[in-house]
This record gives sequence, structure tokens and C-alpha cells, in this order.
Amino acid sequence: MNTNNNVYTVIYTTIIVVVVAAVLAFVSESLKGKQDANEKADTISQMLTAAQFGTKAEFQKMGNAAVLAKYAEEIARAFTVDTKGGKVADLPLDKVYSPSELKRQNYNIKGGQNVSGNPELPVFIFKNGITVVPVYGAGLWGPVWGYIAFGQDGKTIKGAYFDHESETAGLGAKIKDDPSFQAEFTGEQADFSSANVFDIVKGGSPKNADGSEVIDNKIDAITGATMTSKGLDAAIDTWLGAYARYFLAAAPAEESCCSEAEKSNTEED
Amino acid sequence: MNAKLKETILNPIFKGNPITVLVLGICSSLAVTVTLKGALVMALSVIVVTGISSLILSLLRNTIPGRVRIIVQLVVVAMMVILVDQILKSFEATYAIDKQLSVYIGLIITNCIVMGRIEAFALGNTPWPSFLDGIANGAGYGIILLIVAFFRELLGSGTLFGFDILNRFGYVPNNLVILPPFALILLGCIVWVQRSIQKDLQEK
Repeated sequence: MNTNNNVYTVIYTTIIVVVVAAVLAFVSESLKGKQDANEKADTISQMLTAAQFGTKAEFQKMGNAAVLAKYAEEIARAFTVDTKGGKVADLPLDKVYSPSELKRQNYNIKGGQNVSGNPELPVFIFKNGITVVPVYGAGLWGPVWGYIAFGQDGKTIKGAYFDHESETAGLGAKIKDDPSFQAEFTGEQADFSSANVFDIVKGGSPKNADGSEVIDNKIDAITGATMTSKGLDAAIDTWLGAYARYFLAAAPAEESCCSEAEKSNTEED
Repeated sequence: MNAKLKETILNPIFKGNPITVLVLGICSSLAVTVTLKGALVMALSVIVVTGISSLILSLLRNTIPGRVRIIVQLVVVAMMVILVDQILKSFEATYAIDKQLSVYIGLIITNCIVMGRIEAFALGNTPWPSFLDGIANGAGYGIILLIVAFFRELLGSGTLFGFDILNRFGYVPNNLVILPPFALILLGCIVWVQRSIQKDLQEK
């Protein structure tokens, strides 16, 4: 058989590609459920980490089922808001936003050709009063996202957790791997009345005369990871900017909200 | 024939090790050896990919059109890598490791060991020896990975497989060991040791 014949070559490669595509499509479809479950548990453990219910490593050891149970135990309410601060809809308590959903909302916030509708930004409120909101944006090599937990005053940050797809290991990846970077957020206050809601900048952690941290809306960027720091800074500004009206209206008494939808809902409660 | 098969299996483990002698797959061996767990998962993934791709391509070897040989190899290897990645993602136990290894699982496609062994061995041999050759080369790669990861995790984090070892004795982890350059230094030391044992590798 002449395997160098043109017709043979074309038919052969076509068959190989079709077979491989079929195998991959089949495997991808049949494993999707399990992968989504893993991703959901991972997302939940990130939110719980941001809200300071434990460390990411602890949640990893607990396993998916225990993480979901812990979340079900702690979560009080979840709903979406628009950029005007008005409530859009309630979310089921087991619903979380995967990075791909955050990406879609990110387009909706920023506008442009990928807009699929008005922004519907998720707000997760835990039983201890902590509010967790996501942020999403572009790092150096791929998307970066994370969760920021606010206290009952609606501006003091209680904790944060960030994740990324492909930032440089040892540099940009520190947003996820370095607990001391995430710890820097704790105690700082977001300034929802300004366009720079929160800054990640060089020399962002000035100390008071007595050595304690100055409470402002700035933290120190990561050395050697300028682009990742800037990307995360932009992601936080964009998303917290979109949430600004919600937090301004919600603080300090979180229930006395502005929109009709929120009011009617509160009465039902 | 049996002696030849034995040679096929044993040669890549030490005398013809893909990393230290053929100097293939260096990049990933620097990147994924921070922890033993990561190195183990990476090693197993590479073993599966090299073994099964070699087997498939050895079965197809007489039908592959010569002009698109490399592309056909690439399609098969890529399929195997994606399968491994998908399977790692679907188990609770391996999901976190898959996330930690992130792009490096996908980059097994570009690991020269896989394509190198298919070109050099699988296309000219029957399926069984080709399969063993793939497994053995993956294992030779994996052994070096585990040796490097052993030292890096022990000295860089003071742990082994996540269990405190040196940490118990008040050891302060060395940050240099965590960074890729130290893996290169370690790799150099392994090559040095191997060359002083195996004199025929030394250039005159």
C-alpha cells in the first residue's frame, strides 16, 4: 500500500482527527459533572477562606462534602445587585459564581462587544454578618479573580482570597500562594466614594508612629510582579466600583436599603 | 529477545536516562519539583502519556503517511495529555494538584521525551516493546523528578509529602530552594554523580 498517496494522506488524517475529537468530546461530557462539582467546592472554599472561616489548606483536607456542609451552615443570604445598588434577584443558597460566570459579569460591567446583559453582581452574606463579594480581571498571563470579605460596616475588609489561572510561579502567583499578601487586606478600609476604591501600590503599607498599620485603602504590591499587581488592582477597582452604590446604601444598617425590590423583600423576611 | 526487552526497560532508568543523559524534559523538571506530591502526579502522568502514545503509534506505524507523521504523532499525544488532564480534574483528590501543576500538565505535549521516544523507538518497533520503552522513559524522568523534589521539599519547606520532618526540629525553610534555579543546581549535581559512576559518559 502506498501511504504517500495524497488521497490516502487526506483520508487518514481526517479519520484520525475525527476519532480523537469523538474520544475527547465523549470524555469531556462524561466527566463534566464531577469537574463542575470540584470547581464549585473549590470556589466555596475560596469564599470561606476570604470570610476567615479557616485556611484554604484546611478546607482542602476537609473534602468537598464537608466544605459544602460548612457553607450551608454559615451562609445566610445570597442575592444579586446591579451597579446602582438595587437588588435584582435572590440566589439559591447553594449557588456560587464560577470563574466563567464572573468573566461574563466582568464583560457586563466594563461594556464593549461581549456584553450579554446588565451586570448582575452576586453578594453573599454570612450568618456572622460578613459580606463576601467577588472580583475578576486580567492579570499578566490570564485571568485573576478572588473574593473580598467586608464587615458589617460595609467598608472594613475582614479577609481576602485570590486565585489565578496562569500567573508566574513565585511572583504573580503569590496573590494566591502567599498568605501574607492576602493578610495585608485585613483591617484596611475600601473607599467606596472614590474611583480608586482600593489600591495595590508600591509602598502602600505606611506605619503609624507606634508601628501599627495605617488604616487606609492601600496595600503594598508584590515585588517582581508589577503587572499582576496592577491587574489585580484594576480588577478590584472595577468590581468594587460596581458594588460601590450597594455598599454606600447598605452601610451602616445593612437592611435599610434603597430599592423597592429590597424593601419588599425585607418585609417578607 | 528477552535480554533486549530488559535492556529496553532498564536503559532509560539509569544509563540512558532521558533527563540526565538525553537532557530532555528539563523545563518541567524545574517547574514541578517544589513538592513531592506534585512531582509524583507529574511523573505518573508522563508515564501514562509516553506509554500509551507509544503503544498507539506503534500499532499505527505501518499505516501512517510519512509526510504527516509528526502531525499524527502530535494529535495522538495531545489527545492523551488532554485525557490525563480531564481525569485529574474530575477526582477530588487530584483536583487541587491539577490546579497547582496548572499549565505543566498541558505542557506534557511539548515534553521532548514523548515525541523523541515515538520518533526514535515506537515507529520502528512492535507494540509491546514500544509500550515498555514509553513506560520506562517516563519512569526514568519520574525518578529524577522525585529525587529533585525530595531535596527541594525537604530543604525548601521542611516537609515530605506535606508531613513535617525538618520543621519539627526548628528548621527555617530556605526560600532559594523553592525557586527554579536551585532545581537546576540539583540537576547538575545529579548529572555529576551519574557521570562519575558511569565513566563512558565522560568526554575525553
